[in-house]
Amino acid sequence: MASLKENHPEHVLEISSACKSFGQLGVLKGVNLIIKKGERIALMGPSGSGKSTLLNCISGVENLDSGDIFLNNSSIRELNRSGVEALRRESIGYIFQSFHLLPTLTAFENIELPAQLIDMPKDERIEKVRKILKLVGLSSRSQHKPDELSGGERQRVAIARALIHNPHLVLADEPTGSLDSKSGDDVLSLLEELSIEQGVALLMVTHDRTSTRICNRVISIQDGCLV
Amino acid sequence: MLSFRLAILLLFRTTFRHWRKNLGSYFLLVGIVAVGVGAFNGIRQASRSASANFGLFNQAVSGQSDFLIESSTQRLNSNILQDLAQISKEPDWHLLPVIEGSVTSLDSNGSPDQQLRLVGLDLLSLANLPSLMESKFDFGKEEPNWYEWLGSENFVWIGSEAGRKLGIEEGDEISFFASGRVREMVVRKFIDASSVSFPDDLVIGDLPTVQNLLSRKGELNRIEVIVDQIEMRENLNFLQGIKDRISKNLPKNLTLKATQNRAADRASMTAAFRLNLTILSLIAILVGAYLILQALDAAVVRRRAEVATLISLGVNRGVLFITFLFESAVIGVLGSILGIGVGWFFAFLSAQMLADTVNALYFATTIEAISLTLQDCLFGLCLGFLFTLLAGWLPARDAMQTPPAQILSRGDWSPGFSWLRKSRVGIVLILSGLIFLVFPPFPLAGGGKMAIGGFLASGCWILGAALLSGHVLVRLAGLIKPYCAGPITRLVFSRLQDGSSRHRLSVAGLVVAVGMVTGMFQMVDSFRITIEEWFDVRFQADLYVSERGVTGAGTINGIDPLVMDKLVHENMVSYADIVYISYAKPPEGITILSGVDMKAWSTQIRQLWLKKPGSLKPVEGCEPALISETFARRFDLIDGGFIELDTMTGKKKISPIGIFSDYGNEFGTAAVDIPIWKEWTQSERPINVSLYLGKGSNVNEIRDQLRLSYPGLDVRNASELRDVALGIFEQTFKATSALNGIGLMVAFAGLLLGLFAIFDESSRTWFTLDYLGFSRKQFLLTAGLEGAAIGMGAWISGSLVGVALGWLLINVINVQSFGWTLQWHLPWTDFVIFGLLLFAIGFLSGVLSAALWIRKQK
Repeated sequence: MASLKENHPEHVLEISSACKSFGQLGVLKGVNLIIKKGERIALMGPSGSGKSTLLNCISGVENLDSGDIFLNNSSIRELNRSGVEALRRESIGYIFQSFHLLPTLTAFENIELPAQLIDMPKDERIEKVRKILKLVGLSSRSQHKPDELSGGERQRVAIARALIHNPHLVLADEPTGSLDSKSGDDVLSLLEELSIEQGVALLMVTHDRTSTRICNRVISIQDGCLV
Repeated sequence: MLSFRLAILLLFRTTFRHWRKNLGSYFLLVGIVAVGVGAFNGIRQASRSASANFGLFNQAVSGQSDFLIESSTQRLNSNILQDLAQISKEPDWHLLPVIEGSVTSLDSNGSPDQQLRLVGLDLLSLANLPSLMESKFDFGKEEPNWYEWLGSENFVWIGSEAGRKLGIEEGDEISFFASGRVREMVVRKFIDASSVSFPDDLVIGDLPTVQNLLSRKGELNRIEVIVDQIEMRENLNFLQGIKDRISKNLPKNLTLKATQNRAADRASMTAAFRLNLTILSLIAILVGAYLILQALDAAVVRRRAEVATLISLGVNRGVLFITFLFESAVIGVLGSILGIGVGWFFAFLSAQMLADTVNALYFATTIEAISLTLQDCLFGLCLGFLFTLLAGWLPARDAMQTPPAQILSRGDWSPGFSWLRKSRVGIVLILSGLIFLVFPPFPLAGGGKMAIGGFLASGCWILGAALLSGHVLVRLAGLIKPYCAGPITRLVFSRLQDGSSRHRLSVAGLVVAVGMVTGMFQMVDSFRITIEEWFDVRFQADLYVSERGVTGAGTINGIDPLVMDKLVHENMVSYADIVYISYAKPPEGITILSGVDMKAWSTQIRQLWLKKPGSLKPVEGCEPALISETFARRFDLIDGGFIELDTMTGKKKISPIGIFSDYGNEFGTAAVDIPIWKEWTQSERPINVSLYLGKGSNVNEIRDQLRLSYPGLDVRNASELRDVALGIFEQTFKATSALNGIGLMVAFAGLLLGLFAIFDESSRTWFTLDYLGFSRKQFLLTAGLEGAAIGMGAWISGSLVGVALGWLLINVINVQSFGWTLQWHLPWTDFVIFGLLLFAIGFLSGVLSAALWIRKQK
């Protein structure tokens, strides 16, 4: 494993023989996967196949039973809780199906939050938020709270939030699942554009085959195994 | 009917299954109701037990007398028996003269031990009435030489329990402090306490013996009437006939009343005290109900998804409402049943404390066995059930309003309690409070007054402030948020600015507790400062002398006139301010008539004057008097006028020439010149004296000399007297402080539950933050700050209403209820310390509830 860290600096994520079960139910059964810098991968599979669990394990929200996950050549299993939290803060951006914006914060503040968590200098942070708001086309809605935005606008805020702190990997869990086809299409285009522009790797869970158009690679998961 | 059946089904299929999963939490809820009901019932029982034992001797000794003959001043001259000759001749009843007073037993060091009630009876008369006694009072008349005590003046009878406590046997000597002297008596016989309900603080003596001990020769307190045909006692017509026949020949200055009425009269002396206790104990139930509300609300939050599913399945919202109400009803019934037992336990614990307070403020009493009546049980059950049902009402409504669509699409959804977001109700309540202020006080039995307007205003203001406190919190958070640059503070203040219903509810509950506590701070502090100032002005003499061992503002014993005469003629005494007191009967209730040196009081003796002597013009034909503020307010004499008082020698008119502050009693005092007092009361017995010593005297040395020369007297210098008075003051507020403490603890527990519900409902926010890399430490800090900010918000709103309550308590409730003007004092330091405490406890509550939430998620 040590050689992996030294020899593959282009690997953002490497999953090796990842296993996870809940009680008697095996959800991940020896998953292996490598994602390189800037690569965009669609992960497809039926309900209960382990897609979301895999994302949770990558972000350190769930622990593996066996195997390992390396993010930027660092083993997640070797990190303690605060190390995992720091990894999530600094290296991962997360996009949820149902947006998960903080309801009491404005769009601007929601986007700014991850940058604040990594202690980005104030001037740089504000400049970046403004820039990304412009990129997602929501400059005029910056002071609106989530309940004042449409579904598509909310997801655009969520994408901006996932990218504001320059993560190495963006995990997207059905980002268009709660949107109509037009908004979904817009969101996908934006996601593609930004990930290319920022050179961020993307792992997107989706049910929708048309969503895979923005990805370089499509993989499937069935019964806890990548096929 | 179908709805009802469905609600029952849901209760068993869902609610009780949740209970089984969280058995501990629901035990806690039942426990909370039990503590609330227990506190209320316990205080009622303890108060009854603590003040019931001033009951008449006849309840213990003669078993049951039927009527009492007494004067309005509760003192009679023995000569009255001649006037009653016509009545006493009748064979259908028997008259039993009685005198009552207090003595204090000595311990082995010669110091006061236990205060005892001394009752003098005509034992010969009593011996002639054996067949009339329902309870047998055996004072030895069956013994062949039982009459040996006749003519002897040193025999007393005490209960066997009292004998055991005092460590004496039949035939032993027992020493008493009585009327300022030490008297040795002999215990003739123990009275078997098991055969009659004989209080262990009662001492019985023959009439002349007791008159002598109390230095009240030829004096009686009342005459008891016992009907001859005891089997007719239940026959109201028969009793009425007897009453009519006695009344016909009764001298005009005497009254005949049923025995039970007398006990009620005496109980009315403590009516205000007991009313205050009842109100305070109601607070315990109220805060308990608040806790139940918080806990059931948290349960609704936890079961939100289930409720949403049930609604999706077509369950009627009314059914859900009934189910949640059933749940609170079950908690209420279980808690109330348990509360009856808890109440008995509380009563047991607090009875002594209350008895001490009654002793200090009113009259000598001891604790009677705590009794639990059917009325207590029913009252406790109904109250607990009602309050729990009311507490369950809001969460039930909240559950009913759960919209399934929203619950699925939006996470941080805060339904219900929409009324908490409207400021109109709060403003209306506060304005209503202002209107209630103009209500006149409500007259109570016994002549006291209840500040009904003041109490209603305080209720309105507390509730109004609680409702508005959410708005204050939101506004304050809005003001602070722009200055929050960090993610934690920004998140905290944005959440508070958003002001969910649960944030508002938590702050509202805390505001009630803070308002009450800060209001009480001010009253206690103002009271203490006023009394201290009163002491500094009023008590300028060198030494203060009173009867030893006897306590209680309402206890009228006194010092033997011969002892007093000897004392005031001691060489070192340059002036003696002797005070005489007795009860007098105004048109309503009872008051105190005092005899003082009017000239000295008007010119030399320092007083805290509300109106200086001479500032009021006496009404012609009335005796000029100096009256206490309480007296002036009670009888509307603030601007002068007159009042008629019934005394031993008939009705007398007095008119105030000055009004002084007096915090010694709540019955009011009117002082007339000593010769007038003696003439009106036919008594020579003073109550106390303030001694002014010659220049250069060594006060403490003289005090010690006097203590040796007069062992039956309490001789204190000013600072010792001050300590005693402040001790009484502290005693007065003991029950209040204890209940305040309970209220605060419950409020904090409510905050904890409220915050837990808040975090539970914000689960989605925390999950999101977790994905964004928010650390555990940051989460706990956020929760802590949120709790602390709620604490501070409650402190600000609560302090504002607390200041208003303090003003109300001091300037309205106290003045109307007790007639005491207090100087309003804001204890800033206490306020600041309390604020810091709230911040700390709010922070800890936040951290603790967040930690609990994390544990639950795991």
